[in-house]
Amino acid sequence: MATVDIRLVSTRGIKKKSDHVDEIKNLVTPGDVITSDSGFMRGHGTFMEEGKLHASVAGVVEHVNKLICVKPLKTRYNGEIGDVVIGRIIEVCQRRWKVETHSKLNSVLMLSSVNLPGGELRRRSEEDEKLMRHYLKEGDLISAEVQNVMGDGCLSLHTRSLKYGKLGQGTLLSISPSLIKRRKTHFHNLPCGASVILGNNGYIWITPNIDDESQNTGGYEQNLQPVPQTDREVVARLRNCILALAANHMIIYDTNIMYAFEASISFTVKELLKPEVISEMIDLVQQRIDMEGT
Amino acid sequence: MAGLELLSDQGFRIDGRRPNELRKIQCRLGVFKQSDGSAYIEQGNTKVLAAVYGPHEVRGSRSKMLHDKVLVNCQYSMATFSTGERKKRPRGDRKSTEMTMHLKQTFDAVILTSLYPRSQIDIYVEVLQSDGGNYCASVNAATLALIDAGIPLKDYVCACSAGFVNDTSIVDISYLEESGGGPELIVATLPKSEQIVFLEMNSRLHEDNLSKVLDVASKGCKDIYEILDRAVREHVSKVSHSLATTD
Amino acid sequence: MTDIIYSEAEKTYILHGIQENYREDGRGCEDYRHMEIETGVVSNTTGSARVRLANTDLLVGIKAELGSPSPDNPNCGCIEFFVDCSANATPQFEGRGGEELATEISNVLTRAYSNSTSLDLKSLCIIPKQQCWILYIDVLFLECGGNLFDAASVGVKAALFNTKIPNVTVNQDEDDMEIELSDDPFDVQRIDIKSAPCIVTLSKIGHHHVVDASQKEEACCLARLMMGVTADSTITALKKEGWGSLNPESIFEMMESGKNVGKVLNASLLSLLEDEEKGSKRKTVGFLK
Repeated sequence: MATVDIRLVSTRGIKKKSDHVDEIKNLVTPGDVITSDSGFMRGHGTFMEEGKLHASVAGVVEHVNKLICVKPLKTRYNGEIGDVVIGRIIEVCQRRWKVETHSKLNSVLMLSSVNLPGGELRRRSEEDEKLMRHYLKEGDLISAEVQNVMGDGCLSLHTRSLKYGKLGQGTLLSISPSLIKRRKTHFHNLPCGASVILGNNGYIWITPNIDDESQNTGGYEQNLQPVPQTDREVVARLRNCILALAANHMIIYDTNIMYAFEASISFTVKELLKPEVISEMIDLVQQRIDMEGT
Repeated sequence: MAGLELLSDQGFRIDGRRPNELRKIQCRLGVFKQSDGSAYIEQGNTKVLAAVYGPHEVRGSRSKMLHDKVLVNCQYSMATFSTGERKKRPRGDRKSTEMTMHLKQTFDAVILTSLYPRSQIDIYVEVLQSDGGNYCASVNAATLALIDAGIPLKDYVCACSAGFVNDTSIVDISYLEESGGGPELIVATLPKSEQIVFLEMNSRLHEDNLSKVLDVASKGCKDIYEILDRAVREHVSKVSHSLATTD
Repeated sequence: MTDIIYSEAEKTYILHGIQENYREDGRGCEDYRHMEIETGVVSNTTGSARVRLANTDLLVGIKAELGSPSPDNPNCGCIEFFVDCSANATPQFEGRGGEELATEISNVLTRAYSNSTSLDLKSLCIIPKQQCWILYIDVLFLECGGNLFDAASVGVKAALFNTKIPNVTVNQDEDDMEIELSDDPFDVQRIDIKSAPCIVTLSKIGHHHVVDASQKEEACCLARLMMGVTADSTITALKKEGWGSLNPESIFEMMESGKNVGKVLNASLLSLLEDEEKGSKRKTVGFLK
């Protein structure tokens, strides 16, 4: 049975609890003078003019010893060494792949920084160069780690660990990188039966828990068998939950995701696309966070 | 001018404003999801949407790429239904090409371009409804969209227009006042450092009056800055609040 | 639209899901995503509407202008469609980048409305052979999240509903005809949209078809069928698009479900528009919320 869900804009947004929020402390906007004291160091989001330190973005001033930074609410991804990212191959070049990672410039994955099928470490032969498109071709998704940040901000990636590599069946989401919390691990096997990779670059990969055999191959051999319906439902539910959290500017990490998942269980997955259901679920999550936090 | 009194004897304008009064400004940051930054502004009946993409890899020919700074790319376009008389084309005509160029110059001056060598920032402006001051509203909307996208700026850029009627300078002129044929001064300033990044005047104005009109327009820019800054602060506070409580 | 190439595994995942009538976001094959509508958003038009279907966002503005009727139909007014894909939606539309898609959409809309039953064009005639109303229907895309055709048609229908053409009186003195427009905002002519069509796009993915495909699903789709469907399930236009081919049987199958979906879509839209009309005290939200 077909369903069509049309509303009027005017009927939206009855809920208005956070309509007014007091201005937060240390908030600056572009051009504001942060300090005229010359004893500070200039960090991201600031610039020097006439001996004064100005903010160049809107955000909260952060002090780390003598360093002053301003972090904007959202930007493109600023890579740091060691970050976990998810990227899409967009070009196969000489001895390297170009990868789209939602950063300012395309990232680079060198042929010498991947584990080749079989896993063993060996010299890259000319043969391998010819087979590059066979390993990873345009459109393929990978999880990787930032190995280096070049002078112009271009990231160089590596996948030399078995947890990284080509991604199989699942769903990719794209949210603002600032919503991803930097944590010890970004790979989570959630108890609900799916695993998520929270890329620092704002890309999130949700995939059904498949038996561990595929992990050893670095993802080169792909399992294209149909995913069982129950797994599919879990993935779809997680997808809608994470998007709902992101739309409400909530930080995303494994605990929050599980809260949302559990709060959503009384609704069908399809209902989670409706605004009133989303706000009800978000309220439940918020309550739970408040409760656990104190 | 027959029949049309731009300034009444009591000192009121056609829409009931005083000479130094701006139209009502309402704005919002983060209207769309797919762009890196977006904003919407209403200045009276002039309504403008701006979207910012980037910084990202230079699209199209690599020859456009700049090795020491970011490439600022703009497009000004007007909805075909935005004007009183229907427009045939949304862009590509001389007027909008000129606007595109003006926008590019204005924002080249204010974005900290040297931070992102070899990449590109797109600023797209779409006028949904036009009632005078299109350029001003476009600049103001684009500023908000750039702030929403977290792109480093030296300062806000605020633009405002002013006219001169019956020996009185009038600020933020509407379409009716624009088409009256009197002088029109458009200025875009950096409100905090009080510098002018864009200045344009149409029609004829006595030299002695120029500074008066310019003062009024600059004052208008400052007033607009206050409004935009308040909107940005509110937006940032609201979002940071929800980020902080869920961390 | 956006030139993202998806990986084989991602496409397989979507394909298998559709086979099981369970799409990526939990929808079934015949479900639409959440849609929001507001009419009367642009004040200097004769009629306007904004539609937001998930991430797809568009604005429709209608301007009525006086003109002369076409020699083929001297007793009828005209409607003309124009679609503009703003670069705000995606950088690929910059310059003339969106023109091809825009032409395609306006062609399908024109086709869906180019029959005598969709709209009563006779009512737009003022003086046969000499003066009539020309409705310029302009669609402006502001964000793209898939299924632009359906969203555009919903917007057009809503904007037509919102259209208020001033009433005219024709004063005839001997050879001279004079047209007088009423300047009373309530002395207006409305347009009957009861039998106006909506476009339903059915995308064939694998062996099944879905309505309201997301961008990702559109990337997996080889062929799609676009139909203009009215509230009583009449088909006013049909167009197959895409580089894949379709079996006659599957076209009939798709038409069947298109008719069903179209009926529901038209009915929900009409009742909603009537509701909006009733709720007289309303503030336009536009893009401010």
